[in-house]
Amino acid sequence: MRRIVITGMGGICALGHNTSDIWQAMTEGRSGIGPVHHIDAKYLRNNAIAAEISDFDPLAYIDEARVPFLDPLSQYALVAAGEAIRQSGLDFRGERTTRTAIVVGVGSAGEETREGLYRQLYAEQASRFHPLGIVRIMSNAPASHISMVHGITGPTFVVSSACASSNHAFAQAAMMIRAGLVDAAITGGTEACITLGVLRAWEAMRVLAPDTCRPFSANRRGMVLGEGSGMFVLETLESAQARGATILAELAGVGMSADAGDIAAPSDVGAAAAMRMALQDAGMQPDDVDYINAHGTGTVANDCTETRAIHQVFGEHARRLAVTSTKPMHGHALGAAGALEMIAVLGALRDGVVPPTLNYLGPDPACDLDYVPHEARAMKVRAALSNSFAFGGLNAVVALRQAP
Amino acid sequence: MSNVQQEVFEIISKQAKVGIDTIKSESTLKDLGVASLDAIEVIFDIEEHFNINLPNEEVDFESGTVGHLIEAVERQLAQKTG
Repeated sequence: MRRIVITGMGGICALGHNTSDIWQAMTEGRSGIGPVHHIDAKYLRNNAIAAEISDFDPLAYIDEARVPFLDPLSQYALVAAGEAIRQSGLDFRGERTTRTAIVVGVGSAGEETREGLYRQLYAEQASRFHPLGIVRIMSNAPASHISMVHGITGPTFVVSSACASSNHAFAQAAMMIRAGLVDAAITGGTEACITLGVLRAWEAMRVLAPDTCRPFSANRRGMVLGEGSGMFVLETLESAQARGATILAELAGVGMSADAGDIAAPSDVGAAAAMRMALQDAGMQPDDVDYINAHGTGTVANDCTETRAIHQVFGEHARRLAVTSTKPMHGHALGAAGALEMIAVLGALRDGVVPPTLNYLGPDPACDLDYVPHEARAMKVRAALSNSFAFGGLNAVVALRQAP
Repeated sequence: MSNVQQEVFEIISKQAKVGIDTIKSESTLKDLGVASLDAIEVIFDIEEHFNINLPNEEVDFESGTVGHLIEAVERQLAQKTG
């Protein structure tokens, strides 16, 4: 079987506009959560907080002629893909253009554009509708723009599975490389979901925290939304070695499952099945793993369910794992969650530093693992899992190991 | 039975698809088979019906009883008129 390695990463989120800033913030345990700039808290019941991108000028990254076509969702994807491709050193000429795939995870697309246009339509009774609405809103736009900017002509599409979208995207990209359809892929996820309508919709489900995100902690009160994008260059180990590329890590395995249960409540059985499949696919034993970047949303239900699932899969080794949620730093970026968390996992594998779980107030008896509270920990990470468990009961887990 | 109690029982009965006579003040929503999003929807229906907001702190889906819920509704109604 072809081995797959990661040779480039790019990202943008509340912690920074590139992966070195993001990773530095993660190791320092900084949080990007704060008051939402453009939404008055009076329109929300709880509190208008999120992990929002600030001081972002798309023109610093994207050609002026392209910007009018882009919802922030696609802007973020282009920033992250540009950084990842530059870092990888790949260029897309000759056969490489057709032998590269683009697979992007998106939770829900075009939110800012849609809300803005619908406000004009319904509230302001506007008589004209902006002609670029469709091309900004369509879910496949981020993947299309990456292909256009970089001249990549291989299989290009978006996958959507709510909060598991990025990890499902990694899986699709990896399987195309393994199958020999392509030799490289640009893959990750993107989300731009911090709008009044989206915040109100999540708030109505009573899953948003009014204070902050405290995964696995006593007195946790829910999740905090985030936004951004993470993109990665995958290629075969052979190709990376032949061109002398710097290898960040090996993408060793993927696992996916559906709970076939509740539309919102998580299931330990489904989560455990996805983790087991990822380990098996990667040819790993449970005790090969040192770190899990958890889904860890900070809701009461997710964190104890995920903890139970980790116990089921890892047995006694569960207590020796470092299990952290980086969501208190970059927020829950829904379709981009797994991609932003991949930055944390690659950093941990490369630098031997596990980013912490912030805002931990004390143990919850139902969450009894080592969550590395408050401060990053220097430790050897031979292999890691990255968990994403979506509403709708769709689970996707990626297994990674240190660069060969 | 107060009006508020009667109306809350009716809303729960409709959502849980149980006879109104099986609902007791000391039952939890969970006892009545109303869990997860169904419970959130019951709270929403109650808010809509009485035109009030029930804060998260007032709503305990794990151990809160229908009686607690009725008290919370009465508190919010009192605040509205007070």
